[in-house]
Amino acid sequence: MRGQVSRKTILAFIGPSVIALAVIGIAPLLYAVWTSLHFYNLTKLRQVRFIGLENYQTVLTDAAFWQAMGRTFLLLATSLPLQLALGLGIALVLHRPGLTLVKTLTRLSLVLPMATTYAVVGLLGQVMFNQQFGVVNQLLGQNINWIGNASNAFAMIVFWDVWQWTPFVALVLLAGLTMVPGEVEEAARLETSNWWTILRHVQLPFLMPGLVAVLILRTADTLKLFDMVFTLTRGGPGNSTEMISLLIQRVGFRVFDQGLASAQAVILLIITIVLARLYIRVFYKEV
Amino acid sequence: MNRTRRSLAIELALLALVILVCVFPFYWMVTTSLKTQVVAMQSPPAWIFTPTLDNYRQALFVDGVSRTLLNSLIIAVSTTALAVVLGVPAAFALARFEFRGKKDLWFWFITNRMISPIVLALPFFLIARHFGMLDKHITLILIYLTFNLPIVIWIVTDQFRGIPYDLDEAARMEGASQFTIMRKICLPLAMPGVAVSAIFSFIFSWNELMFGLILTRSEARTAPAMAVSFMEGYNLPYGKIMATSTLIVIPVLIFALIASKQLVRGLTMGAVK
Amino acid sequence: MKLRILACTTALAASAATGAMAEWSLKEAAAPYAGTTVDVIFLTRPGYDAIKAMLPAFEEETGIKVNITDHPYENALGEQVRDFVAGGDLDIALIDLVWIGNFAENEWILPLEEVQAKFPDIVDPALDMDDFFPLVLNAFGGWNGKIYGLPFDNYSGLLFYNRCMLEEAGFDGPPETWQELKDVYGPALTKDGKYAFALQSKRNETQSADSFARMLWPFGGSFLDADFRSNLLSPESQAGLQFRQELMAYMPDGIVAWDHAETVNAFAQGDVAMITEWSSFYTTMVDPATSRVADCVGVAPEPAGPAGRKPALGGFSLAVASQADEAEQAAAYLFIQWATSAANAREYLERGGVPARQSAYADPALAERFRFIPALVESWQEGVPEFRPRFAEWPEITEIVQEFGTRMMMGEISIEDGAREIGTRMEAVLERAGYYSGDKPLAQ
Repeated sequence: MRGQVSRKTILAFIGPSVIALAVIGIAPLLYAVWTSLHFYNLTKLRQVRFIGLENYQTVLTDAAFWQAMGRTFLLLATSLPLQLALGLGIALVLHRPGLTLVKTLTRLSLVLPMATTYAVVGLLGQVMFNQQFGVVNQLLGQNINWIGNASNAFAMIVFWDVWQWTPFVALVLLAGLTMVPGEVEEAARLETSNWWTILRHVQLPFLMPGLVAVLILRTADTLKLFDMVFTLTRGGPGNSTEMISLLIQRVGFRVFDQGLASAQAVILLIITIVLARLYIRVFYKEV
Repeated sequence: MNRTRRSLAIELALLALVILVCVFPFYWMVTTSLKTQVVAMQSPPAWIFTPTLDNYRQALFVDGVSRTLLNSLIIAVSTTALAVVLGVPAAFALARFEFRGKKDLWFWFITNRMISPIVLALPFFLIARHFGMLDKHITLILIYLTFNLPIVIWIVTDQFRGIPYDLDEAARMEGASQFTIMRKICLPLAMPGVAVSAIFSFIFSWNELMFGLILTRSEARTAPAMAVSFMEGYNLPYGKIMATSTLIVIPVLIFALIASKQLVRGLTMGAVK
Repeated sequence: MKLRILACTTALAASAATGAMAEWSLKEAAAPYAGTTVDVIFLTRPGYDAIKAMLPAFEEETGIKVNITDHPYENALGEQVRDFVAGGDLDIALIDLVWIGNFAENEWILPLEEVQAKFPDIVDPALDMDDFFPLVLNAFGGWNGKIYGLPFDNYSGLLFYNRCMLEEAGFDGPPETWQELKDVYGPALTKDGKYAFALQSKRNETQSADSFARMLWPFGGSFLDADFRSNLLSPESQAGLQFRQELMAYMPDGIVAWDHAETVNAFAQGDVAMITEWSSFYTTMVDPATSRVADCVGVAPEPAGPAGRKPALGGFSLAVASQADEAEQAAAYLFIQWATSAANAREYLERGGVPARQSAYADPALAERFRFIPALVESWQEGVPEFRPRFAEWPEITEIVQEFGTRMMMGEISIEDGAREIGTRMEAVLERAGYYSGDKPLAQ
């Protein structure tokens, strides 16, 4: 019996948000699909014409697109393990008893990177990693060319991504750790003092949901990543840090080829949805 | 005893390192914002110098950063309010009612959170252009719903589901409508979740750059878009850029610190099920 | 239509004549448009600061309000394109010379004559179009035989050199040719953490204009041949690009990430002996507040290559936007005319701008204060207007050049392969635009 309500009531509750998201979410997407089937350059609006799947053909065979996609996943594959390892370490330390005041302070400081405007992170990166007057080189006692060297620039992007999102991982995992019932953990500690055993057999089950959420959100956010890279390197030098969102932005608003960019965006959307469905189906209990 | 003390010391050192790494960039941002151009470009960088507020004066009163901060505030508050008003009933329905296609609907709501903004920015720009809605606050308020509504729905659905059914069943016996049940009985209990989702919405909206960059030019320009606009290849006014960054980041940091307990709860709510 | 314009021009000539007799004044001409606001995008560069400082006088005199929004160069094209396609509120277009084909073909801007014919009373009889350097006027403001914009923020590439460093190494003057710069000055000046040269090459317009094109032309190369096919694989173009690669031995690391700011700063800090930069940086380099080498700055025209001296050419004109309403168009024209006028050129120069008025540089005393003047005037005598092609396809092509130009410098792709890549992609863009089918005249 519970939960059975009239269709009218349901519509009244979900209607507004469905309509809102349809208007601002779906309508533009349909429009993007329409655009992607046309030659549609903002500076050549008089020549707009239907060209079928030509834009898709271009995207599918364009090395630059797949390189940017590969680069984006390389970033995920590099920074996510670091975030998990560091985040887990921090969570485990915070979970230990004692040093309450310092731990409260740590938890507060962990909130800061997450809340920071992503664009500002990139600007800060420019200032701190500058070869001549950057504080990072000063502290390292090195003269490293961060921004002008392909692999160093990529490493710098990884650094800032790890800086900003390790706290998120740490706090989520810490929350998981606190869900472990006290008596279970104590009993386990009486049996073994090996932290790895405890982690593996006692704590991990409670960490799983958090880990899954981290995986989903970090994947989505890496595919979305734009602001920080845009302000830090703009995809350079060369295209060594050009992530997928930067590439599409460049094609759409610098080359002004909205048709091609829309095709790229549609393909990115498909990849995102497939991944999200996969993750959620595999890991998530639904509503 | 000795061993415990040593491990405590190590623990303390580790925590201090974490705090330092988290906080140092902000220290550097603020100190750079107090440097003159010459000092900011000095090599090696200076740790001790005579501070000046000139960058702030310049940014706020000459370059008009103050107006963009106001724009950001207007937009972030409005879109958050709208997301809560629209999202809470939907969340209630998803948590309480049974209907066909519910799973897919929930999934569709959540997927919006995953979509890269550039996917929407392209067509949204063309549509906004068509309706003469470029460079208007309302445009950003609406498009920010694409990531704020999913957050609200996600977190608040969870929160509603945590509230026992007996409460609303008792109310229904007395003939209360579903709307009354939501408003009078469940919503007060779900307030923490609503607050958390509102905080998230606000922070995400305040921090957003790409839509602000593409959909505004002057009237509705947001603060992050303004900060980026100082990056002219001709000179690098790092002091001014850092002053603007500080002005953007400090309010949201204070806000996040005050709400840090709820923030962590929100993370776990959205994440740990 | 033609007849009407003709009639209007006659009317214009007549009114200009009577106007001159009746003592044309800005105040009176602007009276019908007092209270009008005109919107324009500015950059944060010296020439714009100069006009901003002078603006109150204009606003007071005319009652016209100029509403300026600052944007960095790299965003300025996008901002304007988005505004124009949306029928936004910009009344004046700020046009880099490589954007003019685009703006003109889309009819986002009005030809100057059309505005003047429409509003004969606001044309200053002292406008004197012949006073502009012809090269600059045609390249910055002209497209397809029509003048659209008046040159406002004007650049020529110049060689700035650190006289003290050069003297110390035994040179009594700057290099005459690029070859000399690389073979003689390069090894002698690159030592102890200092470098002989720096070429700003960041992956944005800087890569195309300041780095790639700069090395192409002096060696006899070019982007396109007479049939609009890629000329980048010609021996001359290849020689230029190869030269750039070799010259990197005498440049700091990571030059592919350097924009103007980094380059000028390195010169101003005394870390680099020579740079080729736009004229407008002179002020930064000789101001002791921003430069440690203020007393050592020497200025010369850019070195010559086998094909002669082909200095970089760049700069901006202002034009009236067609989307503006009548009053805004008139007010916009008045502002443009005032900002680029011969009468204001001197003050503009003294405040850090670089006017394109020949008369402004006539006073020999000025060359003592602004030591870049002789080299600038010489560079503007003749030059290559299509230094970068100015057609509507440039925004697409420059992105290709930027990507592969930087990757060449980083050694990720060979000069030849990179040039071939650029060529293929460039031709695809031109093909689609209709140049090869004869739909579009071969104008650049």
